Amino acid sequence: MTIRARMTLWYCAALLISILLILVLGLDELRERKQGEKQPSAGMAELVGIVVWVGIPTVLLSIGAGWWLTRKALAPVATLTEAARRVTESNLNRELPRSRNGDELDQLTAVLNDMTGRLHQSFRRIREFTLHASHELKTPLTILCGETEIELHDESLTPGERERSSNRLEELRRLARIVDGLTLLAKADSGLIRVASTPVHLQELVRDSFADTQVLAQASGLTVELTACEEAIVRGDPHRLRQLLLNLVDNAVKYNQGGGLVEMGLRAKNGTAELTIANTGPGIAPEALPHVFERFYRGDPAHNRDMAGCGLGLSIAEWIVTAHGGTIQIESTPSKLTTVAVLLPILPEMTKVS
Amino acid sequence: MSETVRFVVMRVLVVEDEKKTASFIRKALQAEGFAVDVCDNGADALVAPSATPYDVVVLDIMLPGPDGLSVVRQWRQQHNATPVLLLSARGQVTERVEGLDAGADDYLPKPFALAELIARVRALTRRGGENKFSVLRVADLTLDTVTHRARRGGVDIELTAREYQLLEFLMRSAGRLCGRMMILEKVWNYDFDPNTNLVDVYIMRLREKIDANFGRKLLHTVRGTGYVLKESP
Repeated sequence: MTIRARMTLWYCAALLISILLILVLGLDELRERKQGEKQPSAGMAELVGIVVWVGIPTVLLSIGAGWWLTRKALAPVATLTEAARRVTESNLNRELPRSRNGDELDQLTAVLNDMTGRLHQSFRRIREFTLHASHELKTPLTILCGETEIELHDESLTPGERERSSNRLEELRRLARIVDGLTLLAKADSGLIRVASTPVHLQELVRDSFADTQVLAQASGLTVELTACEEAIVRGDPHRLRQLLLNLVDNAVKYNQGGGLVEMGLRAKNGTAELTIANTGPGIAPEALPHVFERFYRGDPAHNRDMAGCGLGLSIAEWIVTAHGGTIQIESTPSKLTTVAVLLPILPEMTKVS
Repeated sequence: MSETVRFVVMRVLVVEDEKKTASFIRKALQAEGFAVDVCDNGADALVAPSATPYDVVVLDIMLPGPDGLSVVRQWRQQHNATPVLLLSARGQVTERVEGLDAGADDYLPKPFALAELIARVRALTRRGGENKFSVLRVADLTLDTVTHRARRGGVDIELTAREYQLLEFLMRSAGRLCGRMMILEKVWNYDFDPNTNLVDVYIMRLREKIDANFGRKLLHTVRGTGYVLKESP
């Protein structure tokens, strides 16, 4: 029950009690007079009349007035609620509007602003930390990779030493890819990456990517199909969109099964380009689905451990889509079909020309 | 052309303030037969080419003193056209564009594979000497860049568009090691490491088409870090 309804009800109850009190006191008065006079019924009817014709309208009027009054009193709360609801991780630095009249609600707003301000600082510190950390890791990684590579050029290595060295190099490269992904996401979080904004013929990127996917999939005996490839021109960064496509088809190939299928499609409808990439394979458990875009999320550790991925692929894909004003969704029926759907806004004026 | 180049010692200047990084870059380049000088700050780097002419400069962006970008900018203003390969730990797309705008010839984000660095330095030393003929030839393999026709030993070879692009790139860089990143950049136009075996799979397919049915192999894998198309093994 809202504060407003509760206050109106209390108000109403108080009025009813006072009317009842008037009625009881009136009846008491009548009983006293009855002992001296002969016409008790006339006084009784008059009293009931007064209560009905004056009391009930008063109660009704009070309900209305109370409803209006509480609404007026609570309006700033409603505004505050609406403003607070719009607060997310990305706009924590935006302050809630204050009335500055010094009342309780204004004080509450000030406290809320203080709190989000502190949260904003914390988030900023975490982002900066990640950025610095990933940056600091690059120099030692460069040295380690380089020195290991030089070591591998040494002809006097025994086969065992050579294998150990090349294993180490492989892991170092994986670490380098993780750090790369981390840097990219940390920069994206801090708004440090400028995404180009040029008209991109999505259908051309999809066709290119389809050709590459066929080649990638052949080694694993997969079939690749392009179910639709309609013209769709979007505004964006061709490099990032290529990265998105490769990222998604690479997943579709890696997490597949022998003799499986990868299905790609690009459809344009109602000003939206819909890119879908579906694949057969073990799929994703329903409880894991909401988390797949989270950084370093591994749904099934045992299953994913041997995969060469860096655990950031889908997070990066999500960032690319969001940076292009689109949405990405993933649906999965375990051991049947997993479908990733990307929706991107089509450039309006270009669609009319075509 | 390549015969004469082989006997001239190429001199490379490495400008890198991080000592260990500078040291392994020097070792790797020396192992490839380059003469290498190392310099650890921007101010010294600015005047270094006027004392010794270099064939290539490997230049880190983050340096004490003037940074790599201002160094290359000033060289270009002084009409010093020495090819420059920029190195950077930041690895931002805009930085690459910025570096090329400043006058650098190539850009490599850290951490990089050494083979990639060497391949790029080599590519820069041969810049200008690139094969400009419309028909490329390596042993008995020919590629007509106008008609996109590939032939080996008088037999036509069918290529997809991407296979053609890859073969053209490899043939234009014949005899030179081509790193994976470099191939992705030039053939696929990717400016990031996509973490797939795309290049390896394409090379495998190409090998089946140009090498499998012929005695002498032309397409070689080099220590798992890159590929080279050449006549001798």
